[in-house]
Amino acid sequence: MNASIRQFNALLIKEFKEAYRDKRALMVALSMAFFVPVLMVIVVNILIAKNVDNPAIYVHFTGTEYAPKLIKSLQDKNILAFADVPNEDKRQWQQQSIELIIPEHYSERMAQGKVIDIILRADFTEQSLAPPLRRIDGVIQKHSLEIGYKRLLVRGIDTKLLQPIALQIQDTALPSSNAMMISIMLGISLLLVAFMSGLSIAIDSSAGERERNILEMLLCQPVSTLKIVLAKMTCVSSVSVLSIAIMLSLTSFATNFIDLSKLGMSFNIDLATFSVLMLLLIPICFFAAILQLFFAFQAKSFKEAQATVSMLIVVPTTIPYAMMFMDSKPAWLNYAPIAGHSLLMEDIFKGLPIDWFAFAATTAITVALIAALVVILSVRLKSEKVVMALS
Amino acid sequence: MIEVKNLHKSFVSKKTTVKALDGLSFTAKDGEITGILGPNGAGKTTCLRTLYGLLKADEGSVIVDGINVAEDPLAVRKSLGIFPDKFGLYERLTAYEQVDYFASIHGMHGAAKHQAIETVFKELEMTELAHRRTTGFSQGQRMKVTLAQALVHQPKNFVLDEPTRGLDVMSTRILRNYLAAHKEKGHCILFSSHVMQEVAALCDRVIIVANGKLAAEGTPQELCDLAGEKLLEDAFVKLIGSDEGVAA
Repeated sequence: MNASIRQFNALLIKEFKEAYRDKRALMVALSMAFFVPVLMVIVVNILIAKNVDNPAIYVHFTGTEYAPKLIKSLQDKNILAFADVPNEDKRQWQQQSIELIIPEHYSERMAQGKVIDIILRADFTEQSLAPPLRRIDGVIQKHSLEIGYKRLLVRGIDTKLLQPIALQIQDTALPSSNAMMISIMLGISLLLVAFMSGLSIAIDSSAGERERNILEMLLCQPVSTLKIVLAKMTCVSSVSVLSIAIMLSLTSFATNFIDLSKLGMSFNIDLATFSVLMLLLIPICFFAAILQLFFAFQAKSFKEAQATVSMLIVVPTTIPYAMMFMDSKPAWLNYAPIAGHSLLMEDIFKGLPIDWFAFAATTAITVALIAALVVILSVRLKSEKVVMALS
Repeated sequence: MIEVKNLHKSFVSKKTTVKALDGLSFTAKDGEITGILGPNGAGKTTCLRTLYGLLKADEGSVIVDGINVAEDPLAVRKSLGIFPDKFGLYERLTAYEQVDYFASIHGMHGAAKHQAIETVFKELEMTELAHRRTTGFSQGQRMKVTLAQALVHQPKNFVLDEPTRGLDVMSTRILRNYLAAHKEKGHCILFSSHVMQEVAALCDRVIIVANGKLAAEGTPQELCDLAGEKLLEDAFVKLIGSDEGVAA
């Protein structure tokens, strides 16, 4: 074996031993990969329960005796009186109080054909109450409309006169495109994992080694700083790659536990999708690793490195969010690291054909940036200011 | 052989400029142990760091076995066994793995590498530490591992910055014997120390550095004669022109 390769292997093996022997730190680094799929199952199941399963809603009714038919319509849609609430849910419905007040003169005004004011009282800013309130509103509107139609019918008027235009909506989106929430959550999480998983290892193997006086010892050896940087970057990014692989595998497994068809969605990570996503994200792992090493080495202390490198997490989270609010995206975003990756992932999750040109261009630009940062950092490591953390 | 020629080095920051080396010159020959003495802040560590290319001299040069450090630091480092001023260990590696790592960096491999590691562990009497992770090692044990990793590749030139600090009497003796044996084999050994007895007993030549300059040079006896003192410690104080740093 070539002496230079042997030397690089020694550097790499040492980095791997240092990183992978600290089991607790490694588990923390990989925790997000385990956590996100679990969180996704929980969130989607809650969504299904709220939007599809028609769970019971318990309402404090006042004046039920004045509008029995309305109450019957509500009960038919699983909107029940607070008195019926099971003990285990009592506390929740006490806190999320919904009140429906039917006035005493309900039947009298109904008979006179006058408008009846029914009061729906609740905290409308409470997010968890939005679906129940929407359902109650819907049932009452429908009940009201039915009475109105009947009134017109008995007067011999065709109710179709009330609907001069009927808008027919035809959704051309694929079922996979509907799984936007999962796509956004997974897309951002994958970028976040690429940046977060290797973070502690990057800081430890750079600013940490300098603070523990190991770096000086290493830089006195007959080894090029380029090899040192490449070994450290490979090790740091390996943790991110491992994290992404775990996260995608678990997400694929987790989708078996959610019936997305109830929401009219489909979401699937098969082997081909998995491979394409890995191919797309591996350069981002290396990019994150070299960025973290670069900033950690520039820092004057371990503490400063922690603060600076932690701020890099803003990058993968902000860019996809910012793009969501952009009405017209400039073309170059398709090829920029993170932005391009985010757009390509969106297409992959939607089941759309992959734009291989954008894929290749984004990857090439990312690799070029990685190479530039590796060279700059290896030159910087020859600077006594960086090595000795001089100001 | 290590030749230091007219070395100048200043550390410039926004507020201050510290002149660490001010025209330092000396030679450490093969088959000799050369000691560098100097009070704290005299420039010893800066000189050694410049010698192995970690710092760049503002002026002057360091030539090791005919190679200029500034021109080819990697080639120079191949022939150096460095024990730096500040050192740390990879705490998740065993002592053996640590030394193995540095041996591999120096291009050693296979049976020859393992033989060299076994030898250095045996010579420094630290075989029992070999397969323990270095976390929790005492200062002396840490020193021994650092020495082993510096010397495993049998370098032609040893550059040791206070290699006996923190070592117990037995370990110090082992190191002295090790250095003496390698001197006999023709190695060039350059080391800094604050322990006068050690320098007097071990060194063939002594270089006294003060304020970044060469204050005096010679055998311990020559320095005593030059200062008109019997003890090297008294000669040292007289030659540097103050008692600063003697207590260090």
